[in-house]
Amino acid sequence: MIRLEGITKVFPGVKSLDNVSFEAVAGEVHALLGENGAGKSTLIKTMAGAYTADEGTIYFDGNKRSWTTPKESKDAGIHIIYQELMLFPELSVAENIFLGQAPRTRLRTIDYKAMYESANETLDKLGHHLDSRVLVKDLSVADQQMVEIAKALVGETKLLVLDEPTAVISGRESELLFERIKLLRDEGVCIIYISHRLEEIFSIADRVTVLKDGQYVGTYDVAELDRDRLVGMMVGRKVKDIFPPKKDPPAKAAPVLTARNLCVSPKVNDVSFDLYAGEILGLAGLVGAGRSEVAHALFGSISRSDGGVTLGGEGFDAPSPRESIDRGLGFLTEDRKGEGLIMSLDVSANVTAPALPEFTTSLGLDRAHETQAAKDEIKRFRVAVPGPEYGVNKLSGGNQQKILFGRWTRTCRRVLILDEPTRGIDVGTKVEIYEIIRKLADEGLGVLLISSELPEIVGLCTRVLVMRDGIITGEVSGAEINEETIMKFATAAKEPMVQSVFLGEAT
Amino acid sequence: MKLTSVNQSLRRLQDPSLIIVILLLVIVVITGSVLSDRFGTMRNFMNVLEQAAGLGFASIGQALVVIVGGIDLSIGAVVTASTILMAAVVDLHPALMIPMIFGTLLFGTMIGFLNGYVTIRTGVHPLIVTLGTASILNGAVLIYTLQPTGSVPYWFEEFAYGRFWSVPVSGLVMLLCFVMVWVFLRYFETGRAFYAVGGSPDAAHLSGIQCNKITLIAYSASGFFAALAGAYFVSRTSVGDPRVGDPITLSSITPVILGGLILGGGKGNIFGVLLGVFLISLLSNLLNYMNVSTFIQWVIQGLIIIVAVSIYVHKGRKL
Amino acid sequence: MNQNIFVRRFAVLCILIVLISLATVVQTSFLSPSNIQDILTQAAPLALVVLGQAFVILVRGLDLSVASLMASIAVMATAFNATSNAMIPVIFVVAIVVSAFVGLVNGFLVTKRNVSPFLATLAMMIVLQGIRFYYTQGAPSGSLPDGFRFLGTGRIMGIPINVLAFALCFCILGWLLHKSSFGRKVYITGGNPTAANLVGIYADRVTIICYVICSVMAGIAGLFLVGFVGTVDNWVGRGYELDAIVACVIGGVALTGGKGTLSGAAVGALILILIFNIVIILGLPVQAQLIIKGVIIIVAATLFSKASRA
Repeated sequence: MIRLEGITKVFPGVKSLDNVSFEAVAGEVHALLGENGAGKSTLIKTMAGAYTADEGTIYFDGNKRSWTTPKESKDAGIHIIYQELMLFPELSVAENIFLGQAPRTRLRTIDYKAMYESANETLDKLGHHLDSRVLVKDLSVADQQMVEIAKALVGETKLLVLDEPTAVISGRESELLFERIKLLRDEGVCIIYISHRLEEIFSIADRVTVLKDGQYVGTYDVAELDRDRLVGMMVGRKVKDIFPPKKDPPAKAAPVLTARNLCVSPKVNDVSFDLYAGEILGLAGLVGAGRSEVAHALFGSISRSDGGVTLGGEGFDAPSPRESIDRGLGFLTEDRKGEGLIMSLDVSANVTAPALPEFTTSLGLDRAHETQAAKDEIKRFRVAVPGPEYGVNKLSGGNQQKILFGRWTRTCRRVLILDEPTRGIDVGTKVEIYEIIRKLADEGLGVLLISSELPEIVGLCTRVLVMRDGIITGEVSGAEINEETIMKFATAAKEPMVQSVFLGEAT
Repeated sequence: MKLTSVNQSLRRLQDPSLIIVILLLVIVVITGSVLSDRFGTMRNFMNVLEQAAGLGFASIGQALVVIVGGIDLSIGAVVTASTILMAAVVDLHPALMIPMIFGTLLFGTMIGFLNGYVTIRTGVHPLIVTLGTASILNGAVLIYTLQPTGSVPYWFEEFAYGRFWSVPVSGLVMLLCFVMVWVFLRYFETGRAFYAVGGSPDAAHLSGIQCNKITLIAYSASGFFAALAGAYFVSRTSVGDPRVGDPITLSSITPVILGGLILGGGKGNIFGVLLGVFLISLLSNLLNYMNVSTFIQWVIQGLIIIVAVSIYVHKGRKL
Repeated sequence: MNQNIFVRRFAVLCILIVLISLATVVQTSFLSPSNIQDILTQAAPLALVVLGQAFVILVRGLDLSVASLMASIAVMATAFNATSNAMIPVIFVVAIVVSAFVGLVNGFLVTKRNVSPFLATLAMMIVLQGIRFYYTQGAPSGSLPDGFRFLGTGRIMGIPINVLAFALCFCILGWLLHKSSFGRKVYITGGNPTAANLVGIYADRVTIICYVICSVMAGIAGLFLVGFVGTVDNWVGRGYELDAIVACVIGGVALTGGKGTLSGAAVGALILILIFNIVIILGLPVQAQLIIKGVIIIVAATLFSKASRA
């Protein structure tokens, strides 16, 4: 059905895809597997015509194609469910499902009645009952995901790509989705399924193609693979070589940070925990479970609606980020480009940003001092960069992340919060970053590690808190830390979703 | 059709912005009726409807551009240029009156198209592009004339002042335009796509919507309606005035914001804009009855904008 | 990146040289000291506004109220009806305080009320205009001390006073933007407001200060302009808001925020004034300046947006 040959796509500073070939046929579920940053998203955006490949050719349905806009690929019968929701909050569920292909009346106007009815039918097929007149902005994230999936079921789809479709939906809904996917497969639709949850791949995929760091590793029948081999191919080395050895948590002195009944309306409810110096405490959970909100609330970048926090034994209520920084708290945010780096400035300005007072003299900023500080960090974290005056926008993701580590380790004396610190980074740099995190903890920092990469949590943390829907549903430590246990807490017993329409309207 | 539209507006009453506008409208009407016996008469309301038409046309165009996430600061300049073009050409060749109505509308549409085209092709913020267009048009107009100029046949004033069963023609045309735009936005795929493009251009693009086409349609429509406003002003004054459009750019934004459209796009009902037009026109009418100076009315307009945008939540902090 | 900046600066300088050569060819006396003095005197008020506008644009803003503020400050100055030159410092102080207040309101609306900058300042423009016209009832009266005329057109050792004032402001603001930690905060806030907050910078506060700087510069420029023009009318400085933005864009201050220098903005102002002069030398109608401005702002913005994307 689709064949890609020798696809190469270069972005400034990164070769996202390097001579990748890929083939999927009608009537199969073909999994596309790789770590974050392996190039999966780039590959599907190339299929969709959202990106144009620098080199290589695309064959679809037997013909050579080179589309330049998503519309062309869509018209050809490719439907893609992206990781980010492609929904329009001010339009109704039905309008979102039928965008661009709504039923028409004789006057060529939109036939709302017919549209609402068929939208309801489509959702029923998915076993998900929603009023299709409701505006999408009034839905929960899980409902929105189901709407996104429903979009794929209208119109004539020859190739369906699903990018992490189960990230925010419950187990029961996932099962219904899988049934639906299998039905579509049996109808002859070619399905490309992207996920990093290996169990899903084994339960649904016929074949799997593995990508690593933008390169093609291989294509295999799922039946002939086992879990360890798959992981080995994804990361390119054995699991035990990736993470530095765990250390026993230091003898429990007073916690460096305590949170009691922390609330952030409406995302976080009643979260309490202690963090000790020298430990790496994991905070696991599904996307949208409220983990980042906890981090922001601790740091003071969103306001807490309730709860008490202490830092170093002293009260730490309603701080501003400035106060947090001054008192030795560091926060490496999830969105490197959106919330972390200042892309228009150079390395040294990015490193010194939270510590400007340190570099200010009566004559203004001490540039020499700044340059020296940046040089130190570049050396310490082995950043591949020509010099402190180099623009951060030209660096690869891994080096950018190291710059941010340099920034926060300068000011951070007590607690460092890391939110998805290895997202979109190649495996080599990941290993370096794991060592850095271990070392920072050994030097006496309390590290709070938020990550959606379970192997990362399992490999690094000595204690793990699991969140679901804004509350902590479990704490695991020591030998109990494994992916199954964490997932159990992360997805534990959700209420049935039938009430979701009314819930949606209430919000 | 009008009735369903009112129904539609009422059904959307959970939208707080519309409640505010309607509330303000009621307050203005009641205050006016108490303060002046002439204000609350049907005759006066018809006059207001007639006077509101120019602002109404300009606001429809602005609203369409705002829904797709843009802004058009060239509306005033297009209004001015249209009045000059029409009055100057017709002054020389009175026989061309009817072709020139279409010519002027075409001219406005083309300017709008250019705005859209430059915005798409260069990626420059529409604010800057349309500010540039406005400067170019104003320059051209002021080179041509510094004084009101030209003339149109006497009968053309029927467009502004004419009555159809005591309802002003211009007001009727304006209402018709609002209804047509509402139908377009509500019942046509292309119209729904306006909201998609304004709501999230990236998602719209990836969903296979031709964002560029939609953007071009919006800006062209804005130019068209600005030219229509120009024709209306020519009809009122019988001349082309090189300054007539100056205040229109800002005034065209006020009803759009009052009507609950958000800058940044993707949201809003066009009838909210109509209510905004009524509110502004009635307020201005009331202030005139109360002998409030034009200058103070400027201040009030500025304050209304500030208060309105401060109350409504807007997307991000774009330019 | 450095190379890119170098090329751009070089390009801007080339344009400057080409314009000066062009002007010299058309009018041989163009480079005579007296003509240069004239041009600089004429450029100074605009250049003052440009310095302030640059700060606002750097924090992703835009100030469309500067021209209206200039005229309002000018009208306010005449309201004192002062005859003694001793009143000049008082007028300056009052003008700065009033302007700063206007900037504070603009900044407050933009940051705390999340109003889009163009709308907030456009509304401010019309509010000031209304107050001004109401006060003057359309025709300003009142007078200024003679000293103002000297400030606007006088010279000290051959250097126009308003040019000296510009030089002083340029040095102070240049230090602030390029040497002080506040300047760094401006660039960080403009480059990434979210990140700015997360590294402990009060982005709102920085933004508000930039609006205050912009308004104060406009107020000062208004006083120098009224001194230069000699009479006050309700439209003193009309069009300066667009001129100032155009100058910044020509000078490489990116409208997307966080990029550009003060000297670039100043050179942009100089180029703009040269173009205006050439229009007049060539015998074109003054209104042609509007057309040229419109073309330049679109072309320059396009060039820089392409350049920054490449």
